[in-house]
Amino acid sequence: MAQRRWLQTVTRHALPLLSSKPTTSLKPLPHLPAPISLKSILSPKPLQQFLYTDPTLFHARSFSSSSRDDSENEEDDGEEGSEEEEDYDSDSNEAEVDDVTVSDMKREYSAEEKEAEAATIGYKVTGPLLPSDRVLKHREPVFAVVQVGSHQFKVSNGDCIYVERLKFCEVNDKLILNKVLMLGTSTQTIIGRPILPDAAVHAVVEEHALDAKVIIFKKKRRKNYRRTKGHRQELTRLRIADIQGIEKPQPKVDPKQKMAAVKQQEKVAVAA
Amino acid sequence: MAWKGIWQLKKLVVSYCDWGGSSRGIRAFIESNLPAYKDSNPQLEVITELSRGQHPCLKAFYKNKNERVVCVKNLASEDVLLHATRLRNALGRKVKKLPTRHVTKHPSVQGTWTTDVRF
Repeated sequence: MAQRRWLQTVTRHALPLLSSKPTTSLKPLPHLPAPISLKSILSPKPLQQFLYTDPTLFHARSFSSSSRDDSENEEDDGEEGSEEEEDYDSDSNEAEVDDVTVSDMKREYSAEEKEAEAATIGYKVTGPLLPSDRVLKHREPVFAVVQVGSHQFKVSNGDCIYVERLKFCEVNDKLILNKVLMLGTSTQTIIGRPILPDAAVHAVVEEHALDAKVIIFKKKRRKNYRRTKGHRQELTRLRIADIQGIEKPQPKVDPKQKMAAVKQQEKVAVAA
Repeated sequence: MAWKGIWQLKKLVVSYCDWGGSSRGIRAFIESNLPAYKDSNPQLEVITELSRGQHPCLKAFYKNKNERVVCVKNLASEDVLLHATRLRNALGRKVKKLPTRHVTKHPSVQGTWTTDVRF
């Protein structure tokens, strides 16, 4: 609780600074500790100062990572602190967010913006599937838990999943899903906290289609009020091609071949 | 749409009327958007069909012998293009409520849990 109150004060002090310089003020921060540490080596007195200023610096950094401007850092640290801070700054940012959604309706995206948006959803487009690519392989006994948007799927290769429509990809594109929460084989399991940065799931876009129609029916009793509305959700179908980031067990040797090999050995033994 | 990299839509028939008011949008579509659409989809056989006195429609024929018809009467040319692209982007399967959004042939890697499993 005390920590929370302290965080609140820190964020209150940090907010005016942030609002005056939205993103540029955040970037120089990682470079700051270097000169301070040099000073601390030279004389013992500033060391105390350094120790005193150090936590605020670090917290300002984690605060910056939780702001919505830079999505890359947000993926990296999903610690408790950043979540709490988000609660506090959400009120002040609400007006901005609303503005963005209104202007988003029919806005043209540049390539970097597309990439950033895709990264927040959890995918990256790597180009169209060529006829020469043989991405779909036989089944491997490996699974991954992967997050796309706000849905999590337990996939192994050859599976197909339906996700909410992914905006910036075409049918027949290859994707890399990079929000992998867990990997497993029959003998080994790796759990991310919360994600595994080195793991990746490769997928191919198969279809952009509309889901079955859902009927929204509203009715009020005794008021002669009835409204019917239909809705068809846009979905994207992905085929999982490959899971990377875990050691795959060797494919099992065909039992028939094994038997043949054993028989041959026996024959050799008899002959000798 | 594309299953293992193979496009599932084989043939698209653009049926329109050269006189009717409900075909105004599709006539603009045939003039402006259709050549580019044909160029970007070389795998696709696109046919324009004149049927006078009828409302315009798009008929799609898929590799799995399914057929899908979309009525495009009174639509603007951009909307017609959207419908044509949707038809191209579909696999041609029957539209049903999905029982699950995760389809797999091999549901378990580490074995299904039962009450007998001891860790």
